[in-house]
Amino acid sequence: MKKKLLTMVLAGAMTASLLAGCGGTSPAAETAPAPAAETPAPEAKAEAPAAEAPAAEEPAADAASDVDYGSGEIKIWVADNVVDFTKEKAEGFIKDHPEFGGYTILVEATGEGDAASKMITDVTAGADIYGFAQDQIARLVTAGALEEVEPGNAAKVESENAAGVVNAGKVGDTLYAYPMTADNGYFLYYDKSVIKDPSTLEGIIADCEAAGKNLCMDLGGWYQTAFFFGTGCTLTYDTDDAGNFTKCNIDYDSDKGLAALKGLVAMAASKSFVQGSSAGDLTNYAAIVDGTWDAGVIQETLGDNYACAKLPTFTVDGQTYQMSGFNGCKLLGVKPQEDEGKLAVCDALADYLTSEEVQLARFNAVGWGPSNIAAQNSAEVKADPALSALSEQFAFTIPQGNYPGDYWTLAESLRDSIVGGDYKNADDAALQAALKSFQDSCISYAK
Amino acid sequence: MADASTGNTRKSPVGDFFRILGHDIKEIGTTFREGDLKTRLSYLICGFGPIARGRVLLGGFFLAIQAVLLWFIFGFGLPYLSKLDTLGLVETHKENRKTVYGDNSFLILLFGLLALCAVVALILIWRINVRENRKEELILKAGKQLPGNRADFASLFDSHFDKTLLALPVVGIFVFTVLPIIFMICVAFTNYDANHQAPSKLFTWVGFTNFKNLFSFGQDGFGSTFLTVLTWTLVWAFFATFLCYFLGIAVAMLINKKGIRFKKLWRTILVMTIAVPQFVSLLYVGKLFAADGLINGTLMRWGLIERALPFWTDPMWARVTIVIVNIWIGIPYMMLIATGLLMNIPEDLYESARIDGATPWQMFRSITLPYMLFVTGPFLLTQFTGNLNNFNVIYLLNQGNPKSMGMVGGAGGTDLLVTWLYKMTINDTNYRMAAVIGIMVFLVTAIVSLVVYQMLPSVRDEEGFQ
Amino acid sequence: MNEKTSSMKRKRLVSNIFSYILLVLISIIWLFPFVGLVLNSFRSYDPAVEYGGMVDYLIPKHFSLDSYRFLFSGETNYIRWYGNTIIIAFFVTLIQTMVVLCVAYALSRMRFAGRTLLMRFWLVLGMFPGFLTMICLYFLLKQMGLTQAGAIPGLILVSVASSGMGYYVCKGYFDTIPKALDEAARIDGASRARVFFTMTIPMSKPIIIYTALVAFMAPWCDYVFASYIAFGHDASFNVAVAMQRWVWTGDYQGYFTRFCAGGVLVAIPITILFMLLQRYYVEGVTGGAVKG
Repeated sequence: MKKKLLTMVLAGAMTASLLAGCGGTSPAAETAPAPAAETPAPEAKAEAPAAEAPAAEEPAADAASDVDYGSGEIKIWVADNVVDFTKEKAEGFIKDHPEFGGYTILVEATGEGDAASKMITDVTAGADIYGFAQDQIARLVTAGALEEVEPGNAAKVESENAAGVVNAGKVGDTLYAYPMTADNGYFLYYDKSVIKDPSTLEGIIADCEAAGKNLCMDLGGWYQTAFFFGTGCTLTYDTDDAGNFTKCNIDYDSDKGLAALKGLVAMAASKSFVQGSSAGDLTNYAAIVDGTWDAGVIQETLGDNYACAKLPTFTVDGQTYQMSGFNGCKLLGVKPQEDEGKLAVCDALADYLTSEEVQLARFNAVGWGPSNIAAQNSAEVKADPALSALSEQFAFTIPQGNYPGDYWTLAESLRDSIVGGDYKNADDAALQAALKSFQDSCISYAK
Repeated sequence: MADASTGNTRKSPVGDFFRILGHDIKEIGTTFREGDLKTRLSYLICGFGPIARGRVLLGGFFLAIQAVLLWFIFGFGLPYLSKLDTLGLVETHKENRKTVYGDNSFLILLFGLLALCAVVALILIWRINVRENRKEELILKAGKQLPGNRADFASLFDSHFDKTLLALPVVGIFVFTVLPIIFMICVAFTNYDANHQAPSKLFTWVGFTNFKNLFSFGQDGFGSTFLTVLTWTLVWAFFATFLCYFLGIAVAMLINKKGIRFKKLWRTILVMTIAVPQFVSLLYVGKLFAADGLINGTLMRWGLIERALPFWTDPMWARVTIVIVNIWIGIPYMMLIATGLLMNIPEDLYESARIDGATPWQMFRSITLPYMLFVTGPFLLTQFTGNLNNFNVIYLLNQGNPKSMGMVGGAGGTDLLVTWLYKMTINDTNYRMAAVIGIMVFLVTAIVSLVVYQMLPSVRDEEGFQ
Repeated sequence: MNEKTSSMKRKRLVSNIFSYILLVLISIIWLFPFVGLVLNSFRSYDPAVEYGGMVDYLIPKHFSLDSYRFLFSGETNYIRWYGNTIIIAFFVTLIQTMVVLCVAYALSRMRFAGRTLLMRFWLVLGMFPGFLTMICLYFLLKQMGLTQAGAIPGLILVSVASSGMGYYVCKGYFDTIPKALDEAARIDGASRARVFFTMTIPMSKPIIIYTALVAFMAPWCDYVFASYIAFGHDASFNVAVAMQRWVWTGDYQGYFTRFCAGGVLVAIPITILFMLLQRYYVEGVTGGAVKG
């Protein structure tokens, strides 16, 4: 009988929770079928009778301190290792600005890639401010997950950051995000005891093979451009203001493209080559093409033999090219808000979190290279070996623009074909055919 | 299929349906015409008749359900339901810098369907209520007594115990399984993708466009990729199922062999793989086979190979590796099952075969195998369909890679249809195509299993077992 | 005669030795990943001692408990995640077992209109790929407030709600209990419910344990859907969601040994439970295979 009772109690509980679920949401449903967002009572009720309603309705009001910004919670998504840092800075900012005092800060650890796909899944439940890598920006704008940067802040962003970085935050002609770092590029880490001369790819491969060590490089869409751009190819997309891709500028189906593909195939043919640029997953490497985010792990592995350099040159059919690639940045975005007061606070906060002061502090705390020109020129940043190798490499790279998601998938297919040995014994015509199909696919993504 | 009565009807199901519908409408009419006031009022207020006739419990139940459904439909569902035909027209727009969201096509579709289901449920409960009234009137007319409240309540634990037991599970399955499936089937007929995402953008009905795309074999068409992935899915399911099956039996026979000691120990060792969560063990196994992983590293250090074996980078290698790793996962299950079943085979069968001079292989072929195949038929079928949709093994080991230039939609060499559609939703937000592929997965699985299911002897005579 | 038996004996001995070699080999292959996991978990991630990423050797150079210490240090919410998973597993086990028993009994013992239709319908439903419906379930749960902070009850609800479809094995077992027993009791005036609670359930210990064991194991592996529902809300993660970030996303470098340590801790309770209840599991699986 005991069991019977339990069944009934549980059944009752289940029904109750179901009903409670429905009941809880019905008020929202009665007003409108609009998404049940956590709108924190948008009525801008001025506390002091002096500041009347009209003042509150003006965006970017002149008498800023009198405006009531409302109250609520601002949710921020950043990578795990800067959660504490961001929380401290954001809370400090709210403390320094009593007019924003109605807001509390919640910082959650959601990595850059994850944040973008979550924002796209459900904008209303996502963070108000979130960090992401720039390749996601067009996707986010298309999905309506990014608000334009407040015009006043936009001018400041443009003047304080390098042009390439600012372009990364733009879709069409509109600035959608605040640049946070400018270290999204790759260069060479190597083991001093194995690699004598890191300036040529052939030399590195020979040293690695001789020592039985690995040369690691991911050949995905982001890294393979080191070869293509190195031989002088172009690949960019034009976008309109809504984030749609309108035109693809590409010339991979050319002699330059062929040279680059041959370089890639030659490198992948080495027995020392291992596909991958994520140092934490790799072993036994003497050379690895990777970014600053892995500096710590590589330093641990290589110990005293740790060294960095710009990417090497590679030689195809007697001609030598300098490896190029992308330089990019991480951005901080604000999602569209249904309440202007909250939007203003988010804008101010995002602006602060990407200011020179905070970028420098972030560099000192976790080593992220700043995008702010003044911060870049500070003595501590210039002294960092990884960052200086990166800035040396940046002389040869192009700023990363917007690419459709399909491009990255396509490039991974090319990567797997190269690494899988599909082109090992292919003649020029076969390689050219592969490049042509790659180019045609790239063009087909722009409508 | 088991019932001879339904199997032998010559009329088509559609005809049947309309016949029953016509009969029902007629009965509803008769009930109203011949019914008393209580019955007639029940047409408006469900359960009024039974309540008025003293069956408060039953009538109250009808009334409560009607009230809840009406409250749900009018209090919640109506705004969604009314926009279901267009999936919303009001676009999201800006006022100053503030965003004003328009219609949310996703929620309109989802809650519109839910409300639609509520309407159907309302009609059903109304119909049952009418029939109940008719039944009561007929009983009263025949001069018999209606069952009282106490009897009604007691029947919930006796003659109607099935309803008590099944009510919650059926509702749960409906809301959390059936409704989402109907939703995704509907999505296959919309243009819901990266460029049409709620709440910022609207999506709408597009008819069969997505299905046409799946079967288009041009440069960007999904046709050839779909066929490649489908073929691999079937090949994979075949090998994954039967290799594990036979090797599992072999291992079980090895352990069961006379003269082998520590039987329990061997079994326990194998069973560990079932107990350790796959997201831990498979991730580790996946890394073992990496180009710079432990296996390649060791082989190279011993000088057995010159360069790393392309376990995960070459499509053919990757497929074989996955099948092999799957054997590692699958054998323990099969071993457990086979151990139990092998003991059921009468020993004297083997004894007499041995006297006749049969070799072990002959005994296996003519005694063990037929018996095993007969008893494990349904199990093999569920294993096969399970493998068709085996997400975990593929995704945890190598995410369906390596990709290939010859395939669209980001499909890779070891992608099953399910992992492919998962990638499509996560990476490309391409729900329209994912839904179409989902329907195809469903069709493939359903056809394979229904055909086989019909042929299984143990299913055919379900009652025979009791 | 004597010669013959001795030759047979020798033959058997040879074949047994061969079998033992094979069994040892199989054991090594099957145990290897676990040994690897455990050994990795004892490698320190502290750069001063060793290294926390992937390495191409098996045995750590220094034995260390750093990875375990990290899990309990409060630097992450590991204890919370572990607790969440236990809570989910406990409630799912409890409710799912009851639901499955109820459904299986109704379908095995009672004959009602639409019974075969219902069974066939559920069979067909199971063939639809569940991943597609995740986004739909997410918004359903969101409407009920059961995502993010409410993800744990949400996960329990979704797992339990559809569990009725997993009645096969249990129904197969009930089918083998003679119906005559029921009939006898019913003639004595016992109601269906009484038969169910006082006769069928006490006779079904193996299948109840089997059902509970299977239900208990599933939540430990659920990461795709659980991550969807938690939606970045750290406190609602289960172990699988939280830990797979350590190896799959670039934000965490050198977390591999910590992942292994966390994995070992997850494996321990399940393995112990499994070892203790293995007999019932075998009975359930075997019964299920026979009856389908």
